[in-house]
Amino acid sequence: MNQIVLLPMILPLLGAGLCLMFGRSARAQRAISVVVLSAVVATAVVLLVEADRDGPVTVTVAGWPADLGINLVADRLSALMLLVSTFVTLCVLLYSFGQGIAEFGRESPLSVFHPTFLVLSAGVSNAFLAGDLFNLFVGFEVLLASSYVLITLGGTEARVRAGTIYIIVSLISSALFLIAIACVYAATGTVSLAALAERMGDLPDSVQVLLQLLLLTTFCIKAAVFPLSAWLPDSYPTAPAPVTAVFAGLLTKVGIYAIIRTQTLLFPDSPLGDLLLWAAILTMLVGILGAVAQSDLKRVLSFTLVSHIGFMLFGVALANPLGLAGAVFYIAHHITVQTTLFLVVGLVEYRTGTTNTDKLGGLARHAPILAVMFFVPAMNLAGIPPLSGFLGKLALIQGGVADGGALAYAAIAASLVTSLLTLYAIAKVWSRAFWQPADSDLEPSRGGAGSMHGRGGVSTKTKVESRWQSFAREQRLPLPMALPTVALVLASTALTIAAGPLFSFTERAADELHDRTPYVEAVLGNTVQDGGR
Amino acid sequence: MSINLALLVVIGVLVACGVTLVLERSLTRILVGFVLIGNGINLLFLVSSGPAGRAPIVGLGAGPMSDPLPQAMALTAIVITLGVTAFGLALAYRAWQLTGHDDVQDDLEDDLIRRRADLDATSATFEESDETLPDEDGTDVLPDEDGADVLPDEDGSDVAGAEPLS
Amino acid sequence: MTTLLALHFLAAGVAPVAVRVLDRRAFWLLALVPAGSFAWLLPRVGDVTSGAPPIRLSIGWISTIGLDLDLIITPLSGILALLVTGVGAVVLLYCAWYFKPGDTEMWRFTAVLVAFAGSMLGLVLSDNVFGLYVFWELTTVLSYLLIGHNPERLANRRAATNALLVTTFGGLAMLGGLAVLAHEAGTTSLYEIVQAAPRGTAVTVAVLLVLVGALSKSALVPFHFWLPGAMAAPTPVSAYLHAAAMVKAGIFLVALLAPGFAGVPGWRPLLIVVGLATMVIGGATALRQTDAKLLLAHGTISQLGFLTTLVGAGTRQAAFAGLAVLIAHALFKSTLFLLVGIVDRSTGTRDITELSGLARSLPGALVAMVLAGASMAGIPPLLGFTAKESALAAALNVGPVTGGTAWLVTTGIVIGSILTVAYTTRLVWGVFSTKPGRAATAVVPPPPGFLAGPLALALGCLAFGFAGHWLTQRLLTHVEGFPADEHAPVLTLWHGINLPLVLSAVCIAGGLAVFAVTHRTVRTIAAHQLAERGFTAIVRAIDRVAVEVTGRTQRGSLPIYLGVVLVVLVAVPGTALALAWGSVDHDVVIADNALQAVVAALICVAAVLTVRSRRRLRAVLMLGVTGYGTALLFVVHGAPDLALTQVLVETFLLVTFVLVLRRLPPFFSDRPFNANRWARMAIGALTGLAVAGFAAVAASSRTAAPDSAQFAGPAVDFGGGRNIVNVTIVDIRAWDTLGELSVLVVAATGVASLIFLLTDRSTRPGRATPEVSRSTRAWVRPQRRMSDDRRSIVLEVVTRLLFHAILIVSIYVMLAGHNLPGGGFAGGLIAGLALMVRYLAGGREELDAAAPVDAGALLGLGLAVAALSGLLPTLLGGGVLQSTVFDIHLPFGDLHLVTSVFFDIGVYLVVIGLALDVMRSLGGGIDKHAASDEVAA
Repeated sequence: MNQIVLLPMILPLLGAGLCLMFGRSARAQRAISVVVLSAVVATAVVLLVEADRDGPVTVTVAGWPADLGINLVADRLSALMLLVSTFVTLCVLLYSFGQGIAEFGRESPLSVFHPTFLVLSAGVSNAFLAGDLFNLFVGFEVLLASSYVLITLGGTEARVRAGTIYIIVSLISSALFLIAIACVYAATGTVSLAALAERMGDLPDSVQVLLQLLLLTTFCIKAAVFPLSAWLPDSYPTAPAPVTAVFAGLLTKVGIYAIIRTQTLLFPDSPLGDLLLWAAILTMLVGILGAVAQSDLKRVLSFTLVSHIGFMLFGVALANPLGLAGAVFYIAHHITVQTTLFLVVGLVEYRTGTTNTDKLGGLARHAPILAVMFFVPAMNLAGIPPLSGFLGKLALIQGGVADGGALAYAAIAASLVTSLLTLYAIAKVWSRAFWQPADSDLEPSRGGAGSMHGRGGVSTKTKVESRWQSFAREQRLPLPMALPTVALVLASTALTIAAGPLFSFTERAADELHDRTPYVEAVLGNTVQDGGR
Repeated sequence: MSINLALLVVIGVLVACGVTLVLERSLTRILVGFVLIGNGINLLFLVSSGPAGRAPIVGLGAGPMSDPLPQAMALTAIVITLGVTAFGLALAYRAWQLTGHDDVQDDLEDDLIRRRADLDATSATFEESDETLPDEDGTDVLPDEDGADVLPDEDGSDVAGAEPLS
Repeated sequence: MTTLLALHFLAAGVAPVAVRVLDRRAFWLLALVPAGSFAWLLPRVGDVTSGAPPIRLSIGWISTIGLDLDLIITPLSGILALLVTGVGAVVLLYCAWYFKPGDTEMWRFTAVLVAFAGSMLGLVLSDNVFGLYVFWELTTVLSYLLIGHNPERLANRRAATNALLVTTFGGLAMLGGLAVLAHEAGTTSLYEIVQAAPRGTAVTVAVLLVLVGALSKSALVPFHFWLPGAMAAPTPVSAYLHAAAMVKAGIFLVALLAPGFAGVPGWRPLLIVVGLATMVIGGATALRQTDAKLLLAHGTISQLGFLTTLVGAGTRQAAFAGLAVLIAHALFKSTLFLLVGIVDRSTGTRDITELSGLARSLPGALVAMVLAGASMAGIPPLLGFTAKESALAAALNVGPVTGGTAWLVTTGIVIGSILTVAYTTRLVWGVFSTKPGRAATAVVPPPPGFLAGPLALALGCLAFGFAGHWLTQRLLTHVEGFPADEHAPVLTLWHGINLPLVLSAVCIAGGLAVFAVTHRTVRTIAAHQLAERGFTAIVRAIDRVAVEVTGRTQRGSLPIYLGVVLVVLVAVPGTALALAWGSVDHDVVIADNALQAVVAALICVAAVLTVRSRRRLRAVLMLGVTGYGTALLFVVHGAPDLALTQVLVETFLLVTFVLVLRRLPPFFSDRPFNANRWARMAIGALTGLAVAGFAAVAASSRTAAPDSAQFAGPAVDFGGGRNIVNVTIVDIRAWDTLGELSVLVVAATGVASLIFLLTDRSTRPGRATPEVSRSTRAWVRPQRRMSDDRRSIVLEVVTRLLFHAILIVSIYVMLAGHNLPGGGFAGGLIAGLALMVRYLAGGREELDAAAPVDAGALLGLGLAVAALSGLLPTLLGGGVLQSTVFDIHLPFGDLHLVTSVFFDIGVYLVVIGLALDVMRSLGGGIDKHAASDEVAA
């Protein structure tokens, strides 16, 4: 029965293979992708329930004894990450149908999008479930390799430029990861996380810190923690909307997940809490200042993405249950809301042909539904209560107060400032793209809304209309794109309603992470039963 | 566990040379550097596997076997390197096809921001204050009589805030 | 109580629909919600204000973070709830006439306004600190949307944004403070926090932070500038949010905390000074306004300062007076706003310099405004008068607690009241008087329903004026929390000739005098605009910082990003390395044998040459040397599988490189210039040193025996193979291999996706052309359909003869791999190389002849086979990828079959697919491009 832990990887891979074989039929590929991902979501639900009821669900692949083979583990944290990520992935897939993104690169003899997308999801799931450091690396490679293909989809000059930065940085981070793994194995003779949890303590403290820092450096690149974050805002915005959405939602979170996993499991009494707090503070502030400086919707969102990674790191660094629970909750919130926002911006682009606030305008009047679909998750991102962003932040703040250290208070202050600046950045784009009358392109150097004051309201209105017609590519949004987005908006709002049970779940997850025995015993305990093979 | 100096030196040199190349701008050079680093890391796995020994094949010769696990991991790493390098080469070709060279370009948007910073300008989205008073009716669907109370310099100040540099 | 809140938000939800159906009549329907709430609350508030204990209700929500839905009706919150719902109902009714029929924006407005009413009710009823904050921020955001109701003007958008930022700034400060308070008091119930009233530095800071929130929300100096801006909202909104309800939130919070925390250091000085300053500044600026609505806005600021002083003073008497003035203000100020709205709608302007002769044309409005205005100016017999009397009485007695500053407070209030009288007169005179030399303004008479609301509220001012004794009894229940003193607070129209009465007279007389002097002055630059400029400057500074920081950190250059990464690696783990170095003892071997040393030296030389070579091809060849050298080291170390794979992969890569390089210019471009060459070499050297060091320290500190020590036995017994590495790959760690396969598949897919694009040649930059001509001098001439004279028959024949032999070898290697060096990867790579030879010999036709299959299908098949061979064992009751051994006895001998061989077949197929795909893309595909280029050139 535990074998179902393997489905989230093996099903998408099988699906990817089939998609490639049926490369000619777009319908077949869509059908395969939807069926596979839906099955994976269902699996994730089952795993979540089981992990919460009977503790971590583990399996050693190919029936080997747990101390020899590769273990895959779905504890509460992994199961939650798995569920949220796969659900989001499914929504993005449906959205992509509407955009016809699968048509990108159709000239190539191979069908690109669907197989790669499925492999990506397999890689993400594998990273969340891996109970083995090297297998975690493989999971990373799988999702990264697919992301390389997706981010350069269509091979336009902008995407090649942005993609190159992303790819090379990722290649180097992978190299660092391998170095870290080799060192860990050299020192301990194992790469199984559970075994490492037991053996790490035998090493001299200084060596432990060395290994810990090697792993942290790697994961911080993937999670885009300052000063290792600059690659992200350059690379994400150019990709097609669904790709950017799923990247923004998932990839950095995989890095954060890896940090949480290794910190709690391998280095429970880490001396590096302050270092992490500093990193969190700088990530929050530098990231959000970047967002304030931008004028393109996608770039603004990319910088807020970096900035809010700081919140999660803050929770991890606190390392008290409340902070950890807050971080986990915040990850779930952030995956949902960030993906939603990028999809909505994709709709804006689809409808107007641009995401640059210098060109956009009047959306609140001309696309009220779209405006609502943007406003709610945007406020959620800015941490406006009672939306989930606020709830996660509140937990982090309380965790910080409970910690009581000076640096913790500094981090609280930083997180409050970040919230305010996030709101400022969002208010700016909202005021420009949604409120300001859409006549700005009448002036070559856009004189801003002010330039309309000279004219009467009526003339403005007519200008608005003409201006609107001039750049409205699509008056109506295709349902296949709109519905998944709406679904995600509702989901991100539902996080508020379900916050009670969800928070007690994340608290249980945090406790599980703190007392490491459930994980270790779930893995190594079953050596006895399976050992009989 | 004893450590092999020769291997360590090779690893060091390979990584050093690889990094030097990776910091270049030519994409093919970067990839060459990456492969160099990859070779170094494969040797790193040898170091992590401890002392040398006979091939880890049961029943083939006698004496202590070399540690098979790092070999398996290194093998995986080698193949993965192969795949991504092939992709990188295709990317380099594509870049050359588009731009006539395979040098990695700088990001344009960042360049705009940096030039604003050099000019001590605000961000493009910063709206300078005009001294006009907000007014509910002025924005009504009806014609707007209050257009008059706009200060003349208002357009100018606004442009300064929002003109895209070029 | 929760039902009330739920009803509000439900109504907000249906409001747009209602508007679609009923147009502006929908407001009548919606007004029922607050009206009903008012009716429900009235008896209960009656109870608690006559001594009954507070009514509390708690619904668990997120207990983990102490955020539950705790509601409470105390005298204070009850009275405010009544004001919020009562005025709310009146305002909603009023909207039914205020808006034009068929206003296209109405649907959004109604929804937001009703939602606001709900949030406001929740705010005053909330007992949970975080619940309070939730509603607090909700009101902020909804007010943002209402101020931006008509966002076409820059000024309105900015007003909305400013209000949002200022109040949210305060709100976030407050959130921090509340979190600390809750932590210190050990409860999240405001009621209990005030009871517990903890003390300490943390508490002091926290309380001050909370006060920042209160002051910003209630538009006190220096935050006051957002309120006049908020007048961009429709007048009913100004009447409700910016007079009766939202701006009272700060006052409410101060009044709520005062019993417990008025003694906290800094509380009284801050609130009294800021309050009085605001009262005076607001009054002074109100005197300069010509827009009746703005005049009221500044008047509101002044009154809010007044209220803050009273509730902040923290004496029983002052708190009592504060509550009384609060009620009075809510009544008369909303009345006045609504009346201005009526004037505006009837005449089309609110400018008191334009309005003339309305006294005759709008008698109803005149009556209402005189009543409300008299209440605001503190003229008997209205509530405003009795309230101000009690306020003055309180001010005269605050000395003991505020350190003898009674005179300051009193003078401040008197000056403020003088200004109040003055601007009230200015308002009434300005709106209704007949200006000399101005024709009477044309008036559309308002329907009676339009006037009903304000009239009702105005009469309320009058009624409460006479109900002083009854009201006193009610309000006293609020102030029980304060220490009793000899001065019993009371509201009455007449308590003999005493100092307060005299002061009231002074205020009225002074006010009229001031009015007489100033009633001609028109707007000059007002204080709130100075404050606003200050605020804009701050925002501008933040924006500049953002641009600077981003300009510094976000360089957009890949070398810099990589440099940062590597420097961090050297600096952070490198430091740890330096610290860890001594903690383990290193047992160093120079080299296992001479061969190893020689090869090592060779590799180092080749690596350096790779860096130094400017020719692309030479660099790649040197790279190959390091690769083959590495393979030798593997052999020496006892890793034949690794060596075999390394050799094959290196060859594969070499060919791939060459295929691409033949099109690229033969020399590397000279960028980056030598300037940063040394920096790069330094980073490289340090990184290399660090990595070697990591390895040394890690290897020297090995503690336990490796997991793989136990592999040998199981490999044979369970894995069914003697080559442990291969068993590890296809069985023990087959999961990694599956992932690895998918990497190969997507990589191949990506290669094809980048090469087979319909790229428009015309978009090719001209500067690419010389590259093309140079590329013809490259190592391999681009393959295209070869004319027979250029075909090397011999080569093709030889390759064709060899091809099938090689394929058979590759299959053997794959199958043998389980017991000898080899396996799926090796086999696949061999077959792949065979395809490469075919291509190099005869071009893409030859390749298609050799492998008439679709690369994509092959890749897919391989991945599918591998995945299925993983799933199948589950049908046999095993685990995924679990292998079983069959020994089949056949006449000609035994066949030893391990199911994992199917997995290996999948691997084999994928690798061949990769090779085929690379040949088709980087080989044939590039040939096509080259051909079309030559045509173009």
